[in-house]
Amino acid sequence: MSPTLLFVLIAVALLAVFAVLATRRTKDLADLDQAFTAIRLLDIEAFRNLVDPEEETFLRARLSAQEFRRIKRERAKAALAYVKELSRVSLQFARFGDAAQRSPDPAIAASGRQIANSAIYLRLRALDASVWLAVSAAFPSFDPRSMHSLLEQYDRATYLLQNHNGLIHAQSPVAS
Amino acid sequence: MAQWYKLVLYYLWIAPHVLLVGVPVLMYVRRLHKDFPIFFVYTLYETFEFLLLFVAYMIGRDTGNLYRYLFTATLVGSTALRFGVIQEIFNNVFRGYSRLETLAAVSMRWITGLLLLAAISSVLYSAGAVPENLLGMIRLLGRSVAIIQAGLLLFLFLFSRMFGLSWRSFVFGIALGFAIFASTELAKWTLELTNLTRYARGLLDLLPTGSYHVSVVVWMGYLLAAEKPVGTPTHPVPELDQWSGELERSR
Repeated sequence: MSPTLLFVLIAVALLAVFAVLATRRTKDLADLDQAFTAIRLLDIEAFRNLVDPEEETFLRARLSAQEFRRIKRERAKAALAYVKELSRVSLQFARFGDAAQRSPDPAIAASGRQIANSAIYLRLRALDASVWLAVSAAFPSFDPRSMHSLLEQYDRATYLLQNHNGLIHAQSPVAS
Repeated sequence: MAQWYKLVLYYLWIAPHVLLVGVPVLMYVRRLHKDFPIFFVYTLYETFEFLLLFVAYMIGRDTGNLYRYLFTATLVGSTALRFGVIQEIFNNVFRGYSRLETLAAVSMRWITGLLLLAAISSVLYSAGAVPENLLGMIRLLGRSVAIIQAGLLLFLFLFSRMFGLSWRSFVFGIALGFAIFASTELAKWTLELTNLTRYARGLLDLLPTGSYHVSVVVWMGYLLAAEKPVGTPTHPVPELDQWSGELERSR
């Protein structure tokens, strides 16, 4: 392929990507229902159990080395699926917080800013965790990083969302 | 060249710049010039650049030397300002997200490095096939700049999308306008480096002016359009209280 053709094709592809991004922009608006559906579907307790270091120590003590490696691989794969879902949830949180921070009400806007920041950090943690879990699924002898900060960040994000809901509750006409 | 060509060429050269005058005026009226000072200066610069080049074109129509020198000189300022606008878009998108801003800044530095490398490689690869004169060099440089600017804008769009950040309408409009222009510039500078017939070269001249027209319409459109309503809930979600209670118990 000649360089001329290559660059022209790149330019056309870029134009197409920018056009798609422009049309998708309206579809990316925050959807609260979507965020809550994502939260409801996520069994966070099952995930806590999967990444619990004590649970792993217990399994290591009870199972043969070969069996432990097999189980650990399965657990890492399952945890990875949860983390991917958690990452999706964090994206919904971030979109929601980003939208809320443009509210004319300063209290709602401040709360939205906190939610967005927390969700972004949660997404960063989830991306980081997915790398470690993918390595752990491939090499069971490798000990992944603790998922403590990821879970802590999830708790914080959901707590902020709950507070935000309380704020709206206090300001809604039904409450008054 | 045919009469229709001259009409189209003049229209595509003059119309976007006439329309562009409205952009800084509207920005000033809406106090947006304080948020986007570089873009504001860019629109003014482009307007004055057009006036200068148009007069130079009319005066020195026979030789075109004056126009060529002025075009080259003003292109430098225009290019520098476009990089400034990209930085301005970056600052605006990540403002208030300190953690993400740091990561985005580091990633952007790496992306810039890689794009610079790609641009240098493309210059080295094409060096032998390009006439060694000022115009040939400008075309090579123009293509390199288009690669970097289009790449940076693509990175900004994708990175912010990855973290669920929505852009304010006008910021999105500025970025989209520049993205369209940079992509077409990439195609234009690339094709100008080839041996085109006079007719094909004439037609190619319509590409950047046409895409610039589209960009100005995009800027104007997003400036005039009201900020999109965001999906902020105005009512509480009763289910959330119940769900958060369950969460508390599970801890």
